[in-house]
Amino acid sequence: MIDQATSAPSRAWLSGVREAFPLLGGYVPVAISFGLIAVQAGLTAWEATLISTLIYAGASQFLLIGMIAGGAPLWLAVAMTLLLNVRHAVYGPNLAPWLDRSRWWLVLMHGLTDQVFALAHHRLPQLPEAQRLGWFTGAALLAWTSWILGTLLGALAGDWLMARWPLLGEILPFALPALFLVLVAPRCTSKRWSLALMISIGVAMLCSLVGYTNIGIPIAAACGALCFTLVRFTPEAPHE
Amino acid sequence: MSNDLWLALLATALGTLLIRLLPLLWMQRRLRRLDGADGIEAMPRWLSLLGPMMVAAVLGVSLVPDRLDAIGWLATGIGVLATLVVWYRRRSLGWPVVAGVTAFGLVEVLAALP
Repeated sequence: MIDQATSAPSRAWLSGVREAFPLLGGYVPVAISFGLIAVQAGLTAWEATLISTLIYAGASQFLLIGMIAGGAPLWLAVAMTLLLNVRHAVYGPNLAPWLDRSRWWLVLMHGLTDQVFALAHHRLPQLPEAQRLGWFTGAALLAWTSWILGTLLGALAGDWLMARWPLLGEILPFALPALFLVLVAPRCTSKRWSLALMISIGVAMLCSLVGYTNIGIPIAAACGALCFTLVRFTPEAPHE
Repeated sequence: MSNDLWLALLATALGTLLIRLLPLLWMQRRLRRLDGADGIEAMPRWLSLLGPMMVAAVLGVSLVPDRLDAIGWLATGIGVLATLVVWYRRRSLGWPVVAGVTAFGLVEVLAALP
């Protein structure tokens, strides 16, 4: 897929849509779960869908609904949700060198989720400048739309879907780790990078296993970066 | 939904957008100030390291299977292996994901057979 370079800027968004397709395997089942849980918490299908449209932040939406349903003060629910999303702060600056001055980027930042960032961070540097905006628009819109429609589907028919195809909801989400693996593997260009990336992966897994999935992401990334800074192999690889 | 709840949702939506947007604006201003410098070089070292490490961390949390039993870990291991083998041979994004999900799914389906 990556080898099929887009030949015209007008085709770039199609390329973005195509390359973001694997994200759907992870997004749709989780969005269906969110829709289902939101309705069970007392929201209507349209309210659940509107939350996915406006907030669009995966795990923190579950936290928000859980805290509201549990009777937590609203200010605390908002604060905790935003705290969970703080990790997104490093995504924009990491993409900045590849973004032009188009004002559209400001709007498109609404679609900068963990998964879209991972894909864009890998792909934008490989694309000609004229195609980046189109590519990102296609990829981000597909992901956003799938999240919104998945929520609506879950809110309207989540119960029935989960009962009818229980295994599908377990199998499709593996598309996410598979995609991330393909994005991380090319970065293992030396012992130093490989070790740091493995530390980051390992710490994140440990955090997730003990129930600190979201806070685990920045912690694991910081551990990986620290490892890269402190550990040096001799002789250094020339491309470092 | 009550008005208070709507206000809370709008505040969360706006806050999340600003968390994603403001650091980008900061970095774009920094890049403009250092006009002429290569974009990557202009990025603080810690920030350029955190990008790939965040992707690796997201991989780490997504690798933990929903079912934390032997079948869950076996399916994950085989899915990872299939993904890596196809990536090594094709160096593309799509086919390795298809291979990984298929391998993972096969293990799950076989394990579910009576």
